[in-house]
Amino acid sequence: MEIEQISAHEYEIFFGPAHPGSGNFSVKLKVDGEKIISARADPGYLHRGFEKLMEYRTPIQNAVLSDRICVLEPLAWNLIHAEAVEELLGIDTPERAKYIRVVMAELSRIQSHIIWYGVMSIGMGFDTGFKIAFGYRDYILDLFEMITGGRVYPAGYICPGGVRRDFPKGAKENILKVLDKIDEMIKLEEMENPAFLYRAKGIGVLALTDAQRLGATGPVLRASGMKTDIRKDDPYEVYDGFDFEVPVRKEGDVYARYYVGLEEIKQSIKIVKQALNELPDGDFIVEAFKKPKLNLKIPEGEVYVRNEIARGEAGIHMVSDGGAKPYRVKVRGPSFLHMIPVLEFLLKGAQIADVPAIYWSLNGCPADLDR
Amino acid sequence: MEDNLENENKLLGKIISKFNVDGRVQRKRRVWVNIDKENLVELCTFIKDEGITHLSAISVTDWIKEGEYEITYHLWSYENKILLTLKTRIDRENPVIQSVQSVWGESAQIHERELYELFGVKFEGNTELSPLFLEDWHGPPPFRKDFDWRAYVREKYYDKENEREKSYFEGG
Repeated sequence: MEIEQISAHEYEIFFGPAHPGSGNFSVKLKVDGEKIISARADPGYLHRGFEKLMEYRTPIQNAVLSDRICVLEPLAWNLIHAEAVEELLGIDTPERAKYIRVVMAELSRIQSHIIWYGVMSIGMGFDTGFKIAFGYRDYILDLFEMITGGRVYPAGYICPGGVRRDFPKGAKENILKVLDKIDEMIKLEEMENPAFLYRAKGIGVLALTDAQRLGATGPVLRASGMKTDIRKDDPYEVYDGFDFEVPVRKEGDVYARYYVGLEEIKQSIKIVKQALNELPDGDFIVEAFKKPKLNLKIPEGEVYVRNEIARGEAGIHMVSDGGAKPYRVKVRGPSFLHMIPVLEFLLKGAQIADVPAIYWSLNGCPADLDR
Repeated sequence: MEDNLENENKLLGKIISKFNVDGRVQRKRRVWVNIDKENLVELCTFIKDEGITHLSAISVTDWIKEGEYEITYHLWSYENKILLTLKTRIDRENPVIQSVQSVWGESAQIHERELYELFGVKFEGNTELSPLFLEDWHGPPPFRKDFDWRAYVREKYYDKENEREKSYFEGG
């Protein structure tokens, strides 16, 4: 940590980017003793300019590139990109592809929420929670390796037209086995010890009016008492056919966000089981896209596609002028709002010791912030 | 199955009757409206009172051939479950537009700050437009269509001594 001394009790400290618990992102804190007077987010360590890069590439290349928008849930970004291109092209994917996409998106949400739980635990000094989480997450990564070929990055598995490969033999049984493992993990997660509750309850309280003004979405907004989920309100793929609930808490503190995350894992498991049960036979990709279409022209037009990913609302605004490459792509990452306005707001007036708890309870991903 | 577009048409009708604008219903839950930049803040205040409380994103498209920037506001209504997109065009040489920070608060502020850095669009009334992602950047706004990053990298960072870079830039 770099420390710049101003007076005996007022000084500035950096939380990140070299702090072990911050990711590629930093917050500059002005503190008076133990109390934070003001916080200023300093993003940009992962700015790769995806919006510009995509203007130089065709949708086939962008499908692979879209992996990298968020390290922790590449499949979700794959899906949004594919949906945007499909809407512009006006093609409908086969039923089976839609179900496979839902299964993959939900597995991706589960593993992302597991990371969330892990980093939140380590932020509060509960190392065991971190190890449990990353241990169990590996089961899902094994599934990803079996289905997409990549443990973390699926390399454009969900591509315009459908998915790149069908489920391999035994996928269904293996997924169900892994879901049982995740059930096992949830039981471990649910153990509430007093030390955890002391560090989570009443800390980093985000009221609903503030949450809306600051642009919070997804689990952060739901933990502040707003019942909203894009999968329900603005359904995509086949989400409107599944039976699941939207967990909501009223408190808006770190504990509420932890609780919502945990409940969402249970709901995702429910969705995956339903999707596997109803998985139809048939094609997994549109016939014309079975071989990568190299001279694909995107018709003129523009679309805005939104998905509910683990962190909140993700969107892609794609504009095409009729060429082979998109004219403009705007990527809306949920962490952009959570890690700048919301985080700055919550840290003001907090104690230094609570910074990691608040920081990780927002489930930020510097990668989708900087883009 | 035909979608019922009653709510979408109702919202569009409300906006059209109040302001002189044109718009269309793209599909279920998607409404697009073209507006004048003079109307922007007034229209935003009006639709916010109509229940469109969430600013999802602001985006800029650089139409270089027409010499215009297109600013796009994506707005979501939690009540009516409609995504309303407002589009307005401004001059590319003098890109100035009113800020909507007074309507949507900090969430608008941070989106505008990003776009000021990447496109150079000035948002009048925004309280802070300092650099966000780019450190020590003195070049033109990098997301403009006339900024060629490949040429920039080649001119600035191309190392003729480096074999790998040579093969990338010169082939072979």
